[in-house]
Amino acid sequence: MTFYEKQTDPSSPMHWLGDMQADYLYPNGKAGDKLFKHIKENDTFLASKCINCSKIFFPPRLYCEDCFVEILEKDWFEIPSTGKIRLHTIVTINTYGEKLNEPKMIALIDIDNTDGALLGIIKTDNIDENLIGRKVEAVFKSKNQREGTLKDILYFKMR
Amino acid sequence: MTKKVAVVGVGYTDFNSMTPEVSWKEFMYEACQKAYIDAGVDPREDIDSFITCSEDYWEGFSIFDEFVPDQIGAVLRPCCTVCGDGLYGLGNAYMQIKTGKMNIVAVEAHSKISDLLTFGDIGLFSYDPIFDRPVTGSVDRTHFAGIPSYEKNSPKPLVGKTNEKERIHPYFLAGLEMQNFLRKTGTTEEQCAKVVVKNKKNAFNNPNAEYEVNITIEDVMNSEYLFKPIKKLDISLNVDGAIAFVLASEEAVKKLDVEPIWLRGFGWSSETPWISTRSMDANYAMLASRMAYKMTDINNPRKEIDFAEVDDRFSYKELQHLEALGLAESGEAGKMLDSGDLDLNGSLPTNISGGSLGIGNCFEATGLQKALEVVIQLRGHGGKRQIEDVHTGISQSWRGIPSGSGAVAIFGR
Repeated sequence: MTFYEKQTDPSSPMHWLGDMQADYLYPNGKAGDKLFKHIKENDTFLASKCINCSKIFFPPRLYCEDCFVEILEKDWFEIPSTGKIRLHTIVTINTYGEKLNEPKMIALIDIDNTDGALLGIIKTDNIDENLIGRKVEAVFKSKNQREGTLKDILYFKMR
Repeated sequence: MTKKVAVVGVGYTDFNSMTPEVSWKEFMYEACQKAYIDAGVDPREDIDSFITCSEDYWEGFSIFDEFVPDQIGAVLRPCCTVCGDGLYGLGNAYMQIKTGKMNIVAVEAHSKISDLLTFGDIGLFSYDPIFDRPVTGSVDRTHFAGIPSYEKNSPKPLVGKTNEKERIHPYFLAGLEMQNFLRKTGTTEEQCAKVVVKNKKNAFNNPNAEYEVNITIEDVMNSEYLFKPIKKLDISLNVDGAIAFVLASEEAVKKLDVEPIWLRGFGWSSETPWISTRSMDANYAMLASRMAYKMTDINNPRKEIDFAEVDDRFSYKELQHLEALGLAESGEAGKMLDSGDLDLNGSLPTNISGGSLGIGNCFEATGLQKALEVVIQLRGHGGKRQIEDVHTGISQSWRGIPSGSGAVAIFGR
């Protein structure tokens, strides 16, 4: 009992209903810009490689998180927009805890020829199937609709 | 310089699914007042420094540390906020005392999460906005409307109004991580279900717990998949609660009329935030524990640690964390659970408090909830849930979805 008196009438507590507007402009960053400008015009990805440890980053980065050294422009290269499913889950609820119109499969996809991975939506006929290890490829928006964000990748489909 | 640092006081509110009758400030006041009375200290005279642990977005306002001093007795005193779990606050208090400049330091962490009406959407803010969040179905950039020039024809911002029914819940990453854990270790969904049954049963012996319930493995297995393989009952539910600790140097302990519980070891570690390159194993817990073991001179944690309070905000997390802490071999934690080793009378009682599954997910206060139970047990104040003959206990925290950060604190009598 911290206070002398406590409320016992459940209808008495009042509140002020606030809303917190939080709009941001998130810069893609130099590395992100380069990747997304590439994706706008191509159906392939870009990766960057640390010359110190040979780790290949996708999404590409300007520095290596293991060696803490800069990755130079010459160590960027084009890679196919394909990969292999490492893990997947089926999401059935939205942020309010309500049922989605239809369940969505989200996968962690190891991107080919890199040490990186990407979260992606998987379109499949049988959502209950175990798809670990399956080869997938990115399906992009048509080029005239792309805007240079991750949303230019609509989903991944089986190869 | 002081050699040892002790917990000399703890205070905590009840844990409740909602607390509309109190403000978060009054909530913090309650926990702190109890801790100060427990330690026998006057915050206006005796406490040299104050640390709170919080996250602005959970609270719903900016610059949390600015709103702190009055309700914890810290006005015009050294005071700071750690943007992290309560165990990080405890580690910071430890280090402040070790400088020799501070003798008594207070630490507070809390959850007032029921005040937040859009929990899932705030949760999505913890994903990388460029490389991860778009996959969750967040609003299209064309509807970005914070700056008037972006939406000339729209008098009102459209943010949050587009596709909102289709934005997926932020807990999906735990589904991927659980699948990884099950595949790597051979642990089964049934064993994870058993964690839920155990912890919710343990919570019956904790009068402060909110989610105690008698359920069976079948009940958990039959609850619906939300993020397959995670089922509804595998997930800890949100709870409000505030916890405060008072720590003191060895010299200051002598002047207080308390039984000290020594903070013997501490460690923390952060995995890369990039989902693209991080492991889905709990390496943060592994590294944090090795740091703490080294400091505590523990060479064989399985033998030297009597009981554990580990982060169990999803059922598999308890087993994953026990293995990361070196308290079980890879794939062994589920078997220890099956054989009763993790029960009150087992060889490694785990989450006897009820854990986050039984008490509730108290966000930044989660680590302090784990530490609190270790202190209660070492003091011998566990009542019906008291573990016999305990000398050393470990508490471990994780920053929650989608993080890969965590801390470990080891306490002894």
